[in-house]
Order: sequence, then C-alpha cells, then structure tokens
Amino acid sequence: MSGHAITRRDLIGAVATSVSGLMLAACGSSPDTAPGDTDGAPYALVSEGTLTCVSDMAFPPMDYMDGDTCTGYEVELMEAIAAKMGLECVWLPPTKFDTIIPLIKQGGKADVGASSFTITDERKEEVDFTNAYLDSNQGVATLKSASVKDEGDLDAEGKRIAVQSGTTGEMWAQENLTKATIVSLDDPVQAMAGMSTGLYDAVAADLPVVSYLCTQSYTDCEVSLEIPTGEQYGLVVSKDNPALTEALNEAYEAVVADGTEAKLQEKWFGAEL
Amino acid sequence: MRHGCTCGRGRAWVLAILLACVLALLPSVDALALTTNKATARPNEDGGSGVIGGIATRLTWEGTVEEGEEVSEVTLTLPEGGSFDGTSTKVTALEGLSRAKVEGEATPAGNRLTVSFSQPVSAGMLLRLEVEGMTFPSAGGDVVVGGTYLDQSGERPLADSKPIRTIANTPLQMMVATLDQSPAVEAWNANPFLGMFFKPQLLVTALFSLVPGWLLCLLIVVIAYPFAIVLGLLFAFMKISRYRPVRLVATLYVNVLRGTPLFLQIYIMFFGLPMMNVNINNNVLGVLVIAINASAYLAEIFRAGIQSIPLGQYEAASSIGMSYFQTMFSIILPQTVRRVIPTVTSDFITSYKDTSLLSSVGVMELMMFSKNLTSVSGNMTPYVAAALFYLVVTLPLIKAVTIIENRMANAERGGGPQHHKGKAAAAQEGGESAGEKPSERVMRAEALGTDPAPAPSSMAPSLASEV
Repeated sequence: MSGHAITRRDLIGAVATSVSGLMLAACGSSPDTAPGDTDGAPYALVSEGTLTCVSDMAFPPMDYMDGDTCTGYEVELMEAIAAKMGLECVWLPPTKFDTIIPLIKQGGKADVGASSFTITDERKEEVDFTNAYLDSNQGVATLKSASVKDEGDLDAEGKRIAVQSGTTGEMWAQENLTKATIVSLDDPVQAMAGMSTGLYDAVAADLPVVSYLCTQSYTDCEVSLEIPTGEQYGLVVSKDNPALTEALNEAYEAVVADGTEAKLQEKWFGAEL
Repeated sequence: MRHGCTCGRGRAWVLAILLACVLALLPSVDALALTTNKATARPNEDGGSGVIGGIATRLTWEGTVEEGEEVSEVTLTLPEGGSFDGTSTKVTALEGLSRAKVEGEATPAGNRLTVSFSQPVSAGMLLRLEVEGMTFPSAGGDVVVGGTYLDQSGERPLADSKPIRTIANTPLQMMVATLDQSPAVEAWNANPFLGMFFKPQLLVTALFSLVPGWLLCLLIVVIAYPFAIVLGLLFAFMKISRYRPVRLVATLYVNVLRGTPLFLQIYIMFFGLPMMNVNINNNVLGVLVIAINASAYLAEIFRAGIQSIPLGQYEAASSIGMSYFQTMFSIILPQTVRRVIPTVTSDFITSYKDTSLLSSVGVMELMMFSKNLTSVSGNMTPYVAAALFYLVVTLPLIKAVTIIENRMANAERGGGPQHHKGKAAAAQEGGESAGEKPSERVMRAEALGTDPAPAPSSMAPSLASEV
C-alpha cells in the first residue's frame, strides 16, 4: 500500500517544491528570491519575522550548547535555511527531547522542531516532517575495556542499556535487546557519563552522536556496533502549518543548491556525507 | 579379518567422497541469494515490553543480498492468523551505512506481503523492510517469518527468521480494547486537555505498570529513613556539643547538605563513587543518598526540638542529681520526640517525593516508569497516574500530621490530658499555637536555636557540661 512511503514522500517533496515555486511565481515574485518575500508568505509564525526553533541541544555534533550559545550542524543549517526564507533564526531554551513533538503539536511556542528527529510513521501521526536533510544510522557504544560488546551478548538478563527517552535508539533497543533492561534518560550525554562510570553496560543512540561523543568527550568508550538502519532526519512542523513545511523544503533545496550544506557538513563531520 | 577391514575402510572412503561431493553441490543448488538476518517486532504491550498477538505493531525484517546476486521481489509470510492487511511498508536498502536509492511497492494480502523493487537490489546490500500496522496471530507463541524471493533464476524460498516471541492477549489489554471501543471514552479523549492528561486507556495500563516503580520508591524511603533518623540525631547532638571542632564538623555537614540541591548530591554519588572504584548497587546507592540528605534536615529539626525544651527542666533534673545523659534520654528526648513528630513526618513526605530525582540516574522507580510510558505514548497520562501513587502515600500522612498538631495544640492550650499545666509553662510554649503551620514552627525553632540570646539554646549545653 505504501511501500510508496519513500516514493510518495519524495514525490510530494518534488511536487511541493515546484508547486510552491509556481505559486510564488504566480504571486508576482520570483521563486529564487525567497528573502524579503515574507510579507506575502502564507505560513504562520509564532512571532513575526523570526523562525522560532526548538531543540534539546544535547546531541553533539548535531545540536548542543557551547557555553551559553547554541551550536552544531543542525543549528547552522537552520540559520542558513531561515536566512533563505528572509527570517531570523531564534532558538528556544533547550527543551527535553521527548517533549518537543508535543510542544510543536500544541503550537504557539515554536515553529520548527530541529533536534535530529528521525522520520517515522509513528511521529508522522502527530506532526508533519519536512523532506529528509540527513541520513543516519544507529550506534552502540561500550567501554573500551568492556568484555561484552556484541549484540547477542548485550541481549541478556541483567544488562543495562542506556538510551535517550523517545529516540529511535530507545526503540531499537526495546525491539532488539529484549532481555536487557532499557534505561531511558533525558539526553545521550547523561547516558555516556553513566556508562563511563559503570552504571550501564552500553549506550544506544544515533551513530553520528555516539561516535562524536566517543572521540571527543568519552575517550574511554568506543563505538562497538554500527547498526545500519538507514533512517533519515527531518524537521518537525505542526500539521496545522503545511505551508511552512513547504517553505522549509524549498529553502532547504536552496541551501543544498548553493553549496552551503556541503560546507557545513565538511565543517561538522569532516566530510561531505 | 584384515581383508574385511580394508574393505570397510574403502567403503567409508567412498562414502566420505560422495558426501563431500553432495556437500559441495548443495550450496550451488540451494545457496540463498538473500540471507535472512533477522526479524524483530516493536513491543506493543501498553506499559510493558511484550509483543502481543492480534494488536497492530511493526515488523522489521532484514536480509543481505549475497555475492553475485540480485533480488527483484521479496514475499514475507506469517503463520496462519497473522495479517499484513492495511499495513504500510518502508523499504530501505543500505550499502554499508549509506542508503542506496531503492524503491519498493508493497502489496499486502492476508498473511502474505509482497514487496517488488523498482530496480533489482544488488549484491552486498542490506535490505530492511519495516511493516507498520501488521498483526501477529492472536494466540501468541513463537512466530517465524518465512517467505520467498525472486532473483535472476526465479522464485526461491527464504530462510525462516529466528522466532519472535509473542504473547496472547492479556486481560488488561482486553480492558483497554473495551475502553478503545467505548464512544464515551472517545468523546472524553476528543477534548485535548482530557485526552492529554486523563486518557482512560493509558490511566488503566499505567496504574498497572507503575506498581513496581512505586514499591521501589516506598522501599527506598522506608529503608533510608531509620538511617536518616539515627544520623540526624547524631549530628543534632554534635551541633550542640561543647567542643567547637565537633560543632564545626556537624555544621559543615548540615549546611553543605542543606545548601546544595539533592539532584547534585545524587549526581556526585552515582557518578563519583564508581570513579573511585566503589561499586554499589543502584538501589542501595539511592537509599544512601536519600538517607544522607534527609539526615541533614532531621539534624536541624532534632536540634531545634531539643533546644526548645525549657532550661528549667535541665536545672530541675540536675537538682535531683541526674547526669547529662540521664537528663537527655529520660527527660529531654521524650518531650522532643513528641514535638518533632509533625515536622519529621513532613520531612518524610519530602524524602518520599525526592526519590523521583533518582530516575535521572537510572533507578527504576516511579518517575522512571512513567517517563518511559510517556515517551512511548507521547501522552501525559502516565504522569497523572504517578501523581496518584505519590498522593496515596502523602495524603494520609498529611492528614496524620494535622491530627497530631491539633492534639498537641489542644493539649498546650489547656485541653487534652494535661489539665494541670501551670500558667508559666503554658506561656513558655505559647508560641506553638493552634494555627501555626509545621513549617513555620520549624522556622521559629530554628530561629530560636541560632539566636544566642534565648536561654535554652546557649545555656543548655553549658549547663549540661556542669553536670
């Protein structure tokens, strides 16, 4: 029925882009000069002239707090996207990951949830997703000195697997490590800190984040499993605001087209993905 | 004999060679171009981790395309009773960790699901099929996902997956299903607020699945509290000691513990101790943190309680020749206990609620369970259920505190059993009047204790030292 899931999404994306382009053209403004177009924009914003974004800011290198400034790949990408839309990008204070989707759904606080959300059917029931902006996989980290590292051995009674609450990492662990105890925490940093002190046997989370944390902060840990899931990140927008989703897709296309995305990937991941 | 033996050996050789030939031939005939890696199902038990038959869930099937092969179609089959009807399928093909551009069209038909790919999936690729909304047979049991696939040479059978353990429907799930069908419940949930905070289906499942967490909370605080009382008394005595260094140690202990958030103390204990190679069970560590934290507050409560006993009683006791310890244990402490019961109970309530902070370090207590439920369901109802579990303990205790306070106030006003209380004594304890809240009373008592002027605080220890 919807093995078309991907087909359809790509198609809708493509159609949406061209349709919104046509619409803008029909309105008398050219589609490639999105900045300055905001007065005619059909989408609603929480506050005029700004794109209010929300993230948990606990997912380096995607989004995190460097002192008291928000930074990371996602943060700079959103700034580039907002610039293309002629808007200023404003971040709400870091918000717990599992409350971001309810917050966007309820509306009135933020326009976009940008916190490395994997596009899933479950989440799509609650909110709209933009087209995917990054591919990801799952990773499992353990202490370098740990004796238990592979999936079969971690799936055992008494093993404690730390995950971030509400993530695809949590879902993966619940589904694949059914015998182990899954401990859901507020952010992956808490999980890694706990593991490096021996509270948990392993941490399951998105691969870019686990490998970043293992190389940057928790050097006594390593990525022991790379789990190909082929999941993709999308931005989260309220179902009541489909015009914004389209505008974001369009602005993202522009960010890809002018090479900004490639530059950001080079900067944050050391390579274009 | 010897002849027969060689003959037998010869036969064995022939057999072995034949076997080897068959074995060598087998893979080339039956080698699977598509190897089944695994099939897993998302747990769909509300508030649990089981996979229940007859209720929609998501099946994830993974297979690898072997060397030199191409796969153009995959059909998955479930045992009788399972169903793919009404499902949506997500097709992902991966080369290593990067996505390959493969699209597929899925056609569900009863317990069969056929996915045909726009272009053949080539060798070495990992194929993931995520089928959302499928159901396992409602009888439960170990379910094996089988099927067939199409490669260049035609249709071939797919190796069976390792069994997925499923369970039959539970009474709780049936109750939820009944609620699901009720129009009244549907109308109730249609209200965004009621649906978000008081969803009946979730309330029922949460009340069941939160019980272990609730018991752990109770266990932690019930074990921790006696330790806290003993430690608290110790530090209370240290605080009124006549030796300055002892007083200093106690003051430092109490002030640091009262002056820092419990959350921080939890972090230090849970992350700090293992780093010093002290490995203690998480629950025991939880008991420790709660006990130590509560002991600081109790020390202040006990100290204030001891110092609120009028100085005249120390004098009276010493005048009949009682020692300091005799005075303390037979005169002062019994009265102190009566006075501090309400505040100690309030503190117990606080400690019980404080166990919730342990969820952040992975103690499987009440908040942890409700957080998990909330993150799975995206609904706040489990937190409301948790609130009920807290209230079921705290409300009776709060009531008890009120009753005790009223009785004490009554007694001190001249009612109750102490009919012949002298005017002076009544005046001295007059501050503890009926309308005073327990918290205000602590503050008053503490103010009394830190103020050097009133006789009881500064003179009791010095008097004690004279005894």
